[in-house]
Amino acid sequence: MTKLYTHVFASAPDDVKIDEQLSEKMALVQQFVQPENLDIKPTFRNETSWLLAQKELQKINMCKAPRDKLVCILNCCKVINNLLHNAAIASDENPPGADEFLPVLIYVTIKANPPQLHSNLLYIQRYRRQSRLVAEAAYFFTNMLSAESFISNIDAKALSMDETEFEKNMESAQALLSGLSTDFDGFSVQTDESAAPVPCAEEEKPRHRPRNVNKGTVLPPKPPQTETRTEKAPVTNEQESILKVPSLSDLENKGADMLLKEDRTSKIFEEYPYFFAHAGDLTINEVEDLLTNYKQIVLKYICLSKGMGGPVSSPNSHKQAMDHAETVNEHVETVKEAVDTGKAEMNEESESSSAEQTADKPFPFEEGAFDFHSSRDEAVVLKSETAEETSQ
Amino acid sequence: MASTGNKNINAKLVLLGDVGAGKSSLVLRFVKGQFVEFQESTIGAAFFSQTLAVNDATVKFEIWDTAGQERYHSLAPMYYRGAAAAIIVYDITNQASFERAKKWVQELQAQGNPNMVMALAGNKADLLDARKVTSEEAQSYAQENGLFFMETSAKTAANVNDVFYEIAKRLPRVQPAPNPSGMVLMDRPAERTASASCCS
Repeated sequence: MTKLYTHVFASAPDDVKIDEQLSEKMALVQQFVQPENLDIKPTFRNETSWLLAQKELQKINMCKAPRDKLVCILNCCKVINNLLHNAAIASDENPPGADEFLPVLIYVTIKANPPQLHSNLLYIQRYRRQSRLVAEAAYFFTNMLSAESFISNIDAKALSMDETEFEKNMESAQALLSGLSTDFDGFSVQTDESAAPVPCAEEEKPRHRPRNVNKGTVLPPKPPQTETRTEKAPVTNEQESILKVPSLSDLENKGADMLLKEDRTSKIFEEYPYFFAHAGDLTINEVEDLLTNYKQIVLKYICLSKGMGGPVSSPNSHKQAMDHAETVNEHVETVKEAVDTGKAEMNEESESSSAEQTADKPFPFEEGAFDFHSSRDEAVVLKSETAEETSQ
Repeated sequence: MASTGNKNINAKLVLLGDVGAGKSSLVLRFVKGQFVEFQESTIGAAFFSQTLAVNDATVKFEIWDTAGQERYHSLAPMYYRGAAAAIIVYDITNQASFERAKKWVQELQAQGNPNMVMALAGNKADLLDARKVTSEEAQSYAQENGLFFMETSAKTAANVNDVFYEIAKRLPRVQPAPNPSGMVLMDRPAERTASASCCS
């Protein structure tokens, strides 16, 4: 099934289209839908805890076996049921039934906007053994199907809203979404495409390189790359709309992202002997070597920037590089003059002198500075995203 | 789908009715009233299964609850598809819920499984003072439409088990056993491809 997965899951263009429409609809409706729109009684509302159920549902693309996908749905239902049960006990209500359950399931589904919901449900229907899709599993699966059906037919009446109010809400949700990413449609297509193959990073390798399963572990894994693209898509889009130039920083961040996922990071840096060195460890003899190394790297970087076409997108780091080079130059002299000076002092001095230099020189490139900062911000965003991803 | 095998009958039973008519309470009374400790359902709430022994057979009910709100009405066919029995519940203190019950009956007659055993249950029969729907009115409606009717009370348990027993008795017994034992190979290539599955 793992090998067949791409051919049997979300392979029909029609299904992909429905997936996109459904996902877009949920993305819009989730902006304004309230529990009361779905007849969820106040005593049973617990939006924070419903996040748990949403998480279960969002896991659906992390597995490939029909059973596992079904289990994701059942787990989601289980969480909802437990919450309803507790709420009923706490408020001395009648025990919850379908009147309470289905609305919450629909609400949770809209908020979770699980990837490729339609394809996933079809897939379970088609490939889960019929004799196993019975009783309780069948019941909750039917609930999920009816939730999908309800969502795809959602309109003003279904949410007890005015036609005009509903339209207004949909429009403002659309505006909000397009504000978040300039190219929403493109993005959704991108996500759907890459979300399909992305599910389980470990299982992914054999699919991408069915013949090179062994290699898969050695080569830089492909899935993280696609994943990075998905994760980054909204950010880069935004970035592009501001700068109009695909900058080096994009590449840089992408690389950083990939680097974070690599386990043998230290091995990569073996080429650069000073990467893990402390200032205190350096000897005078090494300064020359260090400087040469530095210059080489700066040169490589500038060549790379030029080769990318367009202006050097991080002139600031370029400037810094020059600053540093000068600082180091100075230091070679300083150090040669006073070998006896304490290492700690030298360290301090180097910091202060570089700071002075930066402060003395006015910023030569205003735009560059902006670029630098924005790319920095982006890096932070990406890092937090990565952290989130790993925490999940 | 009622299927027999050595007099064991599996029957899917669907509960329909307006919100607040007491569908869940009714089924809870039935399921828990008999075996307080025993509950086969693991996820709980809206799905239950309960086994009943009637004269000649054992009936295992799989009870599917449905959401009664009007906005979810159009989803009901997904639930009653393939059901062997249905209980349509209304609240005797609420005329609107009775009207809603009639709608369900019509819909099931039009679209449901033709062999479906249907029961009309007037719930909350303990609240006699607040009664809005007379027993006679419901009884005559039931007779006209070929259902059986009972007034129940989930609160006092009156008639609750009786409804389920009556359904169990009325479930069609004579069914050609489709799979006597082992596998029967049939010349139905189209169907075979449809149900082919692996790794599941």
